Amino acid sequence: MSLPEMSALFPTLQEVIFVLFALLIAVTSLIAAMAPNLFHNALGLVATLFGIAGIYFMLEAEFVGVSQILVYIGAIATLITFAIMLTRGMMFGRTSAMNRQGLAGAIISGLFFVVLLGIVFQVPWPNVVADITDGEALIANLGALFVSTYLLPFELLALLLLVALTGALLLARDR
Amino acid sequence: MVSQTWYLALAAFVFSCGLYAALTRRNAIAVLIGIELMLNAVNINLVTFWRYGSMAPMEQLSGQVFSLFVIAIAGAEAAVGLALIISVYRTRHTVNLDELDMLKG
Amino acid sequence: METTLDLSTLNLAVVLPELTLIVFAILVMAADVFATPKNPAPRQWTPWIALAGVVAAAIVNLSVSGREVTLFQGAAILDKFAVGLNYIILLATGLGILLSVKYIPRINKQVGEYYALTLLTATGMMMMGAALDLITLFLALEIFSLALYILSGLNRTSPRSTEAAIKYFLLGAFSSAFFAYGGALIYAGTGTTQYYGIAQVTAAGLANTPLLYAGIALLVAGFGFKVSLVPFHSWTPDVYQGAPTPVTAFMSVGTKAAAFAAFFRVMLVALPFSYGAWSMPLALLAVITMAVGNFAALQQRSLKRMLAYSSIAHAGYILTALAGGAAEGADAALFYLFTYAFMNIGAFAVVMALEEMGAEDAMQDRAKGLGKTHPIMAFLMAIFMFGLSGMPPLAGFYGKVLLFEAAVAGGMIWLAIAAVAFTAVGAVYYLRVIANMYFADPVDESADEVNRSLPLDVGLAIAVAGTILVGVFPGFWMNAFQQSMALFGG
Repeated sequence: MSLPEMSALFPTLQEVIFVLFALLIAVTSLIAAMAPNLFHNALGLVATLFGIAGIYFMLEAEFVGVSQILVYIGAIATLITFAIMLTRGMMFGRTSAMNRQGLAGAIISGLFFVVLLGIVFQVPWPNVVADITDGEALIANLGALFVSTYLLPFELLALLLLVALTGALLLARDR
Repeated sequence: MVSQTWYLALAAFVFSCGLYAALTRRNAIAVLIGIELMLNAVNINLVTFWRYGSMAPMEQLSGQVFSLFVIAIAGAEAAVGLALIISVYRTRHTVNLDELDMLKG
Repeated sequence: METTLDLSTLNLAVVLPELTLIVFAILVMAADVFATPKNPAPRQWTPWIALAGVVAAAIVNLSVSGREVTLFQGAAILDKFAVGLNYIILLATGLGILLSVKYIPRINKQVGEYYALTLLTATGMMMMGAALDLITLFLALEIFSLALYILSGLNRTSPRSTEAAIKYFLLGAFSSAFFAYGGALIYAGTGTTQYYGIAQVTAAGLANTPLLYAGIALLVAGFGFKVSLVPFHSWTPDVYQGAPTPVTAFMSVGTKAAAFAAFFRVMLVALPFSYGAWSMPLALLAVITMAVGNFAALQQRSLKRMLAYSSIAHAGYILTALAGGAAEGADAALFYLFTYAFMNIGAFAVVMALEEMGAEDAMQDRAKGLGKTHPIMAFLMAIFMFGLSGMPPLAGFYGKVLLFEAAVAGGMIWLAIAAVAFTAVGAVYYLRVIANMYFADPVDESADEVNRSLPLDVGLAIAVAGTILVGVFPGFWMNAFQQSMALFGG
């Protein structure tokens, strides 16, 4: 920062962008979790996923951000939308969208949030952040890691996808 | 830079939203949406820990690698889960979990 | 930083048994492709190809045993513990296939995919024991879990089977989110996902303790779902009851063995220096699990649900050895799971034979008078029930002794005493089945034929032989798998 005094007074551009993304994610994840209409949930999820991709770009994890958009929004969100349409009788709730444990669920997730926040704010996080000088090298390195240190998990992932593919066919194929 | 704490607080919020949906929604697809939110929160954590991690050098990239695996696993899970949901819908004409109550002792 | 591919660290022997199974899974799928409505023969070969794969993997497993090698700077390891787990999984898979031969074609015509998925499930389970990195562990967990969700829902026309599958899936996916969160927090607390790395950082006192402990708690919850500890057990009875019985038999042993193997390895290899933090919570979990499992099993009318709650109780027994924290606990758990494979799959095989053609669930009533109508089945069931209750000299007895000894070795004498007391409670419902068979009159005289077939008889023979022989001669296994786990710095 060339103007330290200024930056102390005003939020930096980065902080402004973060707050915007955070607000987007907060609102849309609430919609995804709570809206009574299933289709609104799915749309909320898509918006949340976009917001989270933005967070990854802010954290300079571009590759993860792109994967998020391709896999999550491109595949998972689409799949969910398809499932909603295939089971469309349930789209407009004739009865309540919540089960009988609504209150207990709210208490548990509320408590969980408080505990997590407690940990997050209690832990003395170090405030040193290394700058990323060569982002391209980092991505190249990521690719190399997948075929060296993480070769076994990478191959296992192929196996997992084979299982998912075979299984989805086995279950959903027309008789 | 935005401090690490805020990213993690955001992740905690998303996780709790997902937890709430998974615990309270009747519709199986809504529960699945909740689970996806939880996995996304985990990923925000992982990438944040990678970026700010004091424990390991950033070049090690374990956090990013882990998060990419989580994304792929979530994809496989969603594919299988939705196939199961369709399979249930074909036999029962509902995907509301509290109407699925044939298995009782 | 340049990452170079160093092929000298690529030690394929570590995953050779798993690779064998994958090859045979592909062979099964390939054979299935050649089956046509006119010529269905290749499809009928698939169970035998799968069985050949299990035998081949066991031979490979024998040939790679006795070494201790790691793969790729510690993504996975092959030690005595992993080899022992491989045997248990292969045994459960083989017995599961024998039980399936006649049963599965009745409920789903796509048998090729079924056997391929069974082999892939076994692959994932074996990787659980070999994993030495949280990322590898998570993938192995997902492979076998996803495959099991599918296999539970195999009977697509059955509302019960699909209901079991969706419940299993939603709770399983829910638990894997906790599992992933736990892994992320441990990574945050220690800066690594490798077990030895985690142990190194915690030993040096460099770990961020609150993060590490929160991570351990979430990881334990994730494992708790998989091995069905109370309060994470609610899926177990539903899935055991609803899933096709051969799948239940295979899953009940395979999941427990794989998840417990990974649980022991994470706790004893990666987190031994946090023992003070996790031993007491695990001991309490064990007590609650044994209590709920045993007392709920007392009240079940369905045989499958009874066995489900009894499997919850057995998870509690095994957990006592882990709570003790002693290294012998791992050996004891391995032996116990080995015996459990024979007894539990045997019991499910009898239940399967009792199920009438249309019905999907055998009730306690179905066992009544079995001693008169089907003396052989009743005798076998009695042996499995005695074995599960821990009666000497059958296999279950020595296993329980070892487990509780491990708890005592860890200084938890009260836990061992509680476990013995719950074993006594457990004996009640096992013995009740026997009493029903021999001292009650058949409810329904027309309860005619049991569903038997040659493969099922072979499976039953193996199970009963194992239940008796391993109980009488436990030494051959115990000597081979002493100090089985390659501990950190050990």
